[in-house]
Amino acid sequence: MPRILWKSARATAQLTCALVCLAAACGRGDDLKPATPTQLAPALASTYQSVCAACHARAGTGAPFAGNDADWSQRRAQGADALLEHTVNGYRGMPPLGGCGRCSEADLRALVAYLAGVAEGAR
Amino acid sequence: MIRLSRRELLRAALAAGASGLAACGRGEQHSSVSEDWTPGEPLPWRNWSGSERCVPARRIAPASESELRALLRGGDFALRPAGSGHSFSGLVTSDGALVFLDALSGVISTDPAARSADVWTGTRLWRLGPALAALGQALPNLPDIDYQTLGGALATSTHGSGAELGSLSSRVTALSLATPDGELLECDASRNAEVFHAARASLGALGVVTRVRLANRAAFRLVERSRFVELETLLANLAHERDTNRHFEFYAFPHADTALAIATNETEEATRASGDDDPEAILLLRTLFRWTRALPGVGMRLYDAFLRSQPASERSGESYAVLAHPRTVRFNEMEYTVPAEAGPECLRAVLGEIRARDLPVCFPIECRFVRQDDVWLSMFHERAGFSISIHQFQDEDWRPYFAAIEPIFWKFEGRPHWGKLHSLDAARLAPLYTRWTDFQRVRRSLDPRGRLVNAHLAQIFGT
Repeated sequence: MPRILWKSARATAQLTCALVCLAAACGRGDDLKPATPTQLAPALASTYQSVCAACHARAGTGAPFAGNDADWSQRRAQGADALLEHTVNGYRGMPPLGGCGRCSEADLRALVAYLAGVAEGAR
Repeated sequence: MIRLSRRELLRAALAAGASGLAACGRGEQHSSVSEDWTPGEPLPWRNWSGSERCVPARRIAPASESELRALLRGGDFALRPAGSGHSFSGLVTSDGALVFLDALSGVISTDPAARSADVWTGTRLWRLGPALAALGQALPNLPDIDYQTLGGALATSTHGSGAELGSLSSRVTALSLATPDGELLECDASRNAEVFHAARASLGALGVVTRVRLANRAAFRLVERSRFVELETLLANLAHERDTNRHFEFYAFPHADTALAIATNETEEATRASGDDDPEAILLLRTLFRWTRALPGVGMRLYDAFLRSQPASERSGESYAVLAHPRTVRFNEMEYTVPAEAGPECLRAVLGEIRARDLPVCFPIECRFVRQDDVWLSMFHERAGFSISIHQFQDEDWRPYFAAIEPIFWKFEGRPHWGKLHSLDAARLAPLYTRWTDFQRVRRSLDPRGRLVNAHLAQIFGT
């Protein structure tokens, strides 16, 4: 498991209360609060390392940093489906499919959940 | 890509009294996507810029070379190797199967004495540099974007800049090719030599290149020095800059008399940087261009003065870290390589056409030198090249701009970059390559039923 996952876990725990309030204020429900960090299957962990990390774990790209909860809290409030649509269609600097052409919708949902700290299966 | 610092650009703008610019923030890039996917629909494949789209019947991601061969043997289906999807042209699109080699990634073995490495072609370039450095090796040159897979970069003869440095394809000394029938051909200059010369830059039309042997060098460090200069002064000294720097490239700014000159050389310096490498500064440049363009009479002079006021900057570090730059503002691109000696004249014609038509474009034009090679369909085959790249923001229509400029490249016998946008067909391409017919013969022998030929390749190959 990438070390950054554990950093994410600590940051997520520290900010849980604030984000619950944010989710409530937006009226989007409990499924948008930070999740227990998603466990990536080995193949997806490899995808994360070779594709997502090119921007989300590399300084200077402007992409929200994996594991940095401050980067994700407002994005998370948009809902998992919105994040997935941005991922598939491309959004600002992020290329379509997040650069993972081989990924299925389920793969992308899992990677989004991992990066953004949303509960897997949330919409 | 442009290395303007957002901070410095803002400072220049504010100093000139254009304080309204600050209120614009960084500017925005809006999606021009017209066929957005929504959950529940079949998942499309799209390229990096979003200009190409397809819904493949299958996505094939073999876990091993043997699995790939078995899949290829398993049916007479149409397929295309997909790489990372960074190409702007229609190389990948297919309603058949797309093949992804993400699982075939990493360095397989090295020969320290020969300074070579066998590498899986699914390796992303941004991971290859550090992996080779850990083994004491480095590629002599890299493109300025490193999101691509090695296989995709090789298939399109992707390159950096340097008069004595060839494209990535020219560094391949051996390769393994999984043919459409599932055979695995081992190729080098003496074994399956014709396939080797064709497959080093194959457009993915011969099969799936699974691994390559790269001729590397010892790991090294570079220092990159960037400065804004007067374009015609730079062009007058271009041969000197080309010959006295390991890497030299420059960006010309449409509607301005300024260029950004970038010289990169070996160093023993520690890693350091002065000035930001800000990938989103290009958005601020667009805002600045629009503001100044709206000022009749003086606008473009102000714009030029803003550019000229930018300070020089330096970056140093491991070669792979200095040569590549983050690219978070998406765009579409056309690139043609003209004979090296014709480069400045061709560039002047391009800039002149932009001014004559008053095209509202500001994306800097990238100019690079590349050494000639012996790769059959390389843009640098038996001809040293001067590559001119024009870009348009992803959220603006590239067609009118590129259509206006492309005929200029034809006048200079330009060869289009295979991974970038162009409109040439087989009749126009064949005379540009002395080994065109040989390539087609090899292609037909390996793929007689045209399983690898999609619509784009059908236009290029005339099939």
